[in-house]
This record gives sequence, C-alpha cells and structure tokens, in this order.
Amino acid sequence: MKAALIGLCVALTCAPSCARLVAQEIQLGPAAAPHKGHVELLSDAVEVKAGEPEVVELRFRVEDGFHINSHTPKDELLIATALQLSPARGMKVVDEQYPHGSTFRLPLDSGGTLDVYQGEFRVSVRLVAPKGSSTLTGLLKYQACDNAVCYPPKTLPVMVAVTGH
Amino acid sequence: MVPLSVRRLAIVALLIAGVTLIVMAGTHNLRHRQAEMQKAQQSEVQLTPASSAATSGDPSEDPAAKTMKGKAAPSFTLVDLNGKKVSLADYKGRPVVLNFWATYCGPCKLEMPWFQDLQNKYKDKGLVVLGLDQDEGMAVNEVAAASKRVGVTYPILLPNDKVSKSYELGDYIPETFYVDKSGKIVDETIGAHSKDELEADIQKAIGSGGM
Repeated sequence: MKAALIGLCVALTCAPSCARLVAQEIQLGPAAAPHKGHVELLSDAVEVKAGEPEVVELRFRVEDGFHINSHTPKDELLIATALQLSPARGMKVVDEQYPHGSTFRLPLDSGGTLDVYQGEFRVSVRLVAPKGSSTLTGLLKYQACDNAVCYPPKTLPVMVAVTGH
Repeated sequence: MVPLSVRRLAIVALLIAGVTLIVMAGTHNLRHRQAEMQKAQQSEVQLTPASSAATSGDPSEDPAAKTMKGKAAPSFTLVDLNGKKVSLADYKGRPVVLNFWATYCGPCKLEMPWFQDLQNKYKDKGLVVLGLDQDEGMAVNEVAAASKRVGVTYPILLPNDKVSKSYELGDYIPETFYVDKSGKIVDETIGAHSKDELEADIQKAIGSGGM
C-alpha cells in the first residue's frame, strides 16, 4: 500500500510537467508563418551620423519559392519593385539605389527570361537624419509570382527607426 | 488511533482522486494537441495553395482547382475591348475555354499564345476561347495593347468582381475553366500548363456534353 501511495505521488508530481513539455513541443512544431504577401521587411532600426548624407540598407526577404520583379523588369507590362518613402519631419531622403535582379526562367518558358529578386535583397537609401530618434516610413510596391502562378500587386508597409548621433 | 477501515477508505479516496487528476490532465493535453494540430493544418492550407502546386509541378493537383469541376459554368455578361457585350450564353452548344489572366502575369502570357493556336486548330469543332482580364484599374487601351503584344485575337473581356466570385477564383492567376457543349465545367486548372496539357483539356471539353 505504501508503494502504491509513493507511486501515486510521483505520478501526480510528474503529470503536469509532462503535459507542459508536450504542449511546448507542439507550439514549437509549426514553422513560422511566412508573410502573407510573400515579402517581409527585415530591417527595423538603423543608426546614422546626424545631419550628414548617410547610406542605410533596407533589407527585405522574398519567401522561398517565390520571386518578385526587380526594379527594372525586362518587360514594361511587368510591375517593378519600388519604394515610396515618407520620411519624418527633419529627415530627408536623397535617393534610393536598387540592387540588380537575377535572371529567372519560368519552367515552361523555353524563350524569355525575367529579371527578379529572390531571397534577401537590399535597397540602399541615402538620407540625412536629424539628431535623436525619428522614423522612416513608406511602402514597398511589388508583385509576386511562383513558378506557375502570379499574385495581385501588393504594398508592404515599411517602418524603420532611425537614430541620429 | 484511527480505525483501520477509515484509513483504507482514505487511501482508496486518495487513489481515486489521483487517477481522476491524471485522466483530466491527459484529456486537457489531448485537446490542446488536437487544437494545435488543427491550427497548424489550417495555416498550411491557407499558405500553400499555389506554391504547393508549383512545387509539385502540377497546379491542377491543388484541391482548390477541383471546386468547380462538374458544376454548370456560372453565366455572365461582360464587355470586350470594343465595348461589346459578350455573354457565356452566346456560345451555348459550343466548347468554351475561360482563361482568367492579367497583364502583369508572366505564366498567363506564356499560355495565351498556345490558347490562340489551339483555338485556330479546333475552330471547326466550334471551340471558343475567352480571356477574362483580371487587372485592376488598367485602361482598356493598355489591356488591348498587352493582348495584342501577346499575340491573341480571341475576345478579351474586362474585369468584373461578380464573375470572379461566381467562379470562386483564388488570389492567383492564371486560372482556366474548360466548359463542354452542355455548359458543364469538365476541368479547372490553376497555374500555367504545357501546351499538350491545354490541348488535352480542350479535347475533353470538345468530346463531352454532346448535343
């Protein structure tokens, strides 16, 4: 009887922690949900020298298996990836520089190629920021496809904290 | 001194309480796991309709592609590039291909010249191809220029949300419906397909619903 009581106590002590362990595993199981629009902003904060033109890189990532047109697609009917920035008061955006795209061919296409961004790409923004904290906001306009289908044009909100020293 | 029978009763009660607690913990855990699994499955379905199709190389394998198959093609009246009204009913008794496309869609523009070739090839079988544009806010002359550049002369019809909804379109193009002579959808495909696959689906529409 004593043994049965000890066993019961051990079981009661372990049960909740075992249940918690299983729950934790399950919560970790599902992969992180990809961005619904297939593109996400990786940059959230940058530090610059205040009052002088400085180049900051805004990092974006296109979901695996997808591509978006580069800033200079080969076909004028295709929608170019472009940033529309609205800097905070006291901040000035001088210019933006887009990376070159990579050549991509649709599996069924024996002829033409596309100029696209896949994976991570960075847009360089030259700006003059004031001293202290401010925010660089805007939109990234793009249009995503995979090997077989295309999705409607989308805009991704851009918001990056800028600290001027 | 506590009588022996009372001690036994207390031990039995303790055992019952313990077992009940274990069962309750197990049930709670099971429910939690099931809820998590269900959530994970739902998010998978939402996130991968087209990408899974693209990965498998056969977008028609997507379950969403089969939703309209076997149903009567929803009727519609749309406007073509010349402002003329075009109804699906105009082509009653003929096999019809309804291809939803947009000017920004590379895979769509890959298929369109093939649809044009196949319409020419099966003209004597009465085949009709209709291109249903899905661009938003694009000028008619731009759509006309784009379809001309792609090399199609079959009717291009301008967008209408009601039609997209009645065909239960997903958030992606191209999507194509093959309608037989009786007005039934005999196949539905998502994504670009090879010319041979398009022809096989067209033959299915031609060979079905004899009148």
